[in-house]
Amino acid sequence: MRATTTPSSLTRLLALPPPLRTRTFSVLSRPPPNYPGHIPLTILERLSLAAGSAIGSLAKPYRHDLIASLGETTAKPYFLSRLHRAMLNNPTGRRILRDRPRITSKSMKLEELRQMPENSVGRAYAAWLDREGVTPDTRDAVRYIDDPEEAYVMQRYRETHDFTHAITGLPVIIEGELAVKAFEFANTLLPMTALSLVAIVRLKKVERQRFLEVYMPWAIRNGLKAEEVINVYWEEELETDVEVLRARLGIEKPPDLRDIRKALREQKRRQKAEREGSGAGAG
Amino acid sequence: MPARISALTGRSSFICAQCRKALTAPKRRRLLSTSPKTPEIYDVVTVGGGPAGLALLAALKSSPVTSHLKTALIEIQDLTKPRQWSSPGDQFSNRASSFTPSSVSFLETTGSWAHVDQTRIQAYDEMQVWDAANDASIQFDWNAETQKYNAPPQTIATMCENANLTRGLLERIVELGAGSSLFSSTSVSSIENGVDDPEGLNLSTWPVLSLESQSQPHSQSQSAGQPPSDTPNPTPTNIAARLLVGADGFNSPVRAFAGINSSGWDYNRHGVVATLTLQPADSNTATDRTHDFDLFSSEPLPNRATAYQRFLPQLGGPIAILPLPHDRASMVWSTTPANAAYLKSLPPSAQVAMINAALRLSQTDLKYLLSLPAHSHSDSAKTDTDADTDANVQHETELRWRLEHTDSAPADLTRQQPPPFVTGIQENSLASFPLRFRHATSLINPRVALIGDAAHTIHPLAGQGLNLGLADAKSLAECIAYSVSHGMDVGDAMALERYSSARFGRGLMMAGGVDVLNSLYQLGSGGDGMLASVVGQARGLGMKVVNQLVPGLKGLIMRQAS
Repeated sequence: MRATTTPSSLTRLLALPPPLRTRTFSVLSRPPPNYPGHIPLTILERLSLAAGSAIGSLAKPYRHDLIASLGETTAKPYFLSRLHRAMLNNPTGRRILRDRPRITSKSMKLEELRQMPENSVGRAYAAWLDREGVTPDTRDAVRYIDDPEEAYVMQRYRETHDFTHAITGLPVIIEGELAVKAFEFANTLLPMTALSLVAIVRLKKVERQRFLEVYMPWAIRNGLKAEEVINVYWEEELETDVEVLRARLGIEKPPDLRDIRKALREQKRRQKAEREGSGAGAG
Repeated sequence: MPARISALTGRSSFICAQCRKALTAPKRRRLLSTSPKTPEIYDVVTVGGGPAGLALLAALKSSPVTSHLKTALIEIQDLTKPRQWSSPGDQFSNRASSFTPSSVSFLETTGSWAHVDQTRIQAYDEMQVWDAANDASIQFDWNAETQKYNAPPQTIATMCENANLTRGLLERIVELGAGSSLFSSTSVSSIENGVDDPEGLNLSTWPVLSLESQSQPHSQSQSAGQPPSDTPNPTPTNIAARLLVGADGFNSPVRAFAGINSSGWDYNRHGVVATLTLQPADSNTATDRTHDFDLFSSEPLPNRATAYQRFLPQLGGPIAILPLPHDRASMVWSTTPANAAYLKSLPPSAQVAMINAALRLSQTDLKYLLSLPAHSHSDSAKTDTDADTDANVQHETELRWRLEHTDSAPADLTRQQPPPFVTGIQENSLASFPLRFRHATSLINPRVALIGDAAHTIHPLAGQGLNLGLADAKSLAECIAYSVSHGMDVGDAMALERYSSARFGRGLMMAGGVDVLNSLYQLGSGGDGMLASVVGQARGLGMKVVNQLVPGLKGLIMRQAS
């Protein structure tokens, strides 16, 4: 009972013997999808998509679809499985895998969230979404992960990324995103989060200095000591106080980046006004 | 000894001790009489009535070369119970062993196999081995050879209950008229070197056993109605052995007497055994596993039965499902003592769920299942609230959910048969025993030989423990036969060298090889980290190489194990 496909003599010559062969199908005979939207990739396709996404997302950081595909193509063989196992080891994580909740604008109604008690997770989430001008629907669907349950884990990671922003208060500008990505790398070990830190080169000098001095150490320190954020059942934590949740997870709130930047801008404006004032006075 | 001035010669001269005795003591010639304190002399005394000891006795008595030897077999338990052992056709003892073709052929040659109940044995033709840490698998079978000749499948091994074998051996021994050699319900209170009787025999290098009968007086009178060859003689108190064979198990007193050390280590694991009921296979190969093979069909001939072994590194060892007749199976699951205690504390339905999980789910899920609170089934009988019912079935519900999301048919095309579903477990059959590795530093001493567990104890993952004991018995019987037919003293150290050189190396290699295999499959058990994952994948690659890449390797391994 051998394999049914018979490769040509050339491929048979070049191919490794069956136990060591890694490719399982050819592009002309893709296996059927395991879930709606699934696209199985060969090794070569995966590697080229990863390389292209890395270069593209560095050139244009706002291409969130490239970041998504980078994440999916680099998450296997080990890292996504490790995250999946971390969910299975935790009782709340197991419940999430059983229930498979999705975060969309329908499941997270902003009007309700805005009504939640002051300082609750839901209120902070709604406030953050309003402040940054984003909605929960901006997340792409996972396509390149073969196992349906692991695909759900990736999707859940992507959809709860905004919650991480909300409870840390980090904004959606590059610096804030990089801080959250650094935190997520220390917490989830997904390679894409580490790869996106290459975007440090795109920061201005002042921003880069601030990032390396303040936000990166904060991210690594907290990501390592905190509980696995993937195991938080956010739908149940909407009414929890943010401070309480942060304390439970072991996360410190970082300095508010928008405030720092605003203060710096104010300072520069004042300095510029003084210089112009004195210059006008002198002239 | 200093010289003694002799009263006869009147001058000092050195006279050695033997001559002095000869001169001073009047010598009376005695023929065929022993002084009261001379122990009765036996040619071969076997201590221990387990499979190895009984097989040795049967082999000695069935061979015309050695059947005249005066033999004794000392067993502390009452051997009438094993002789009368019987069990309903659908219930199987949880101590069942896998017998290699060499062991079966030895038993057939000595005539014991005919007395083993053939309806309670199961020959299997294939063994599937796979690993929870990767998606590789190995199929052990002789298909490559048998398909060349369109021959029926060749047996890998035969499953037989230990009690079935013991009963067969005892019946054969009695059939050979050696029932009087069996000293059952007899304990050996001490083994010492004999005394050097100046008027009789010099037994100072001979082992002398002091026996104590444990049986009640009334049971001895019951044996009065049996034929003479059946009736054991009244237990003598002292017997001397020309050759003392230690077949007395792990803590062998014979080995201790011989001063032979046994070295090794405890695995810190327990072997959990049980008798299971399996879901029947497809209907076209279903219940009748003894149907005739159509030798002229071009279809590959089906295997009669398959054994399965799945390695679970993070849980302490492999779980093996070995087939028995009528869709039953014997399970041996080597795992940590904590897991073994947990399994024993579960209700039967949860135990079945755990076994099915062990054959299919990932190790992460298994560790989670092992952490669920164990609900003792005695409690569940009394209270029957919803919470209790939920707690009772939590293993099953968890298993059902995880099965939907676990890929049980991996991409590896070579795995043909998925593991069977366990549908039930025989009542009170789940038990556990500690696993240890020991090997004696020598199999022989002057007038002493060790066979079976007294010589070596190994990990059950390869099913070789009992087979090593039977191979020892066979080899020792051949060695004794050689000695007898060449006029040698059967207990002489040089005569026993033949046995030691045949079995010591082979036994040690097998024991060591099984230990190495066990260690190999415990690598990467430390956790879920990247290193463990890499080690698991490397091992999987090795398994794929053994399974397909190197043509003769699998055959070589199977030949060693048969």
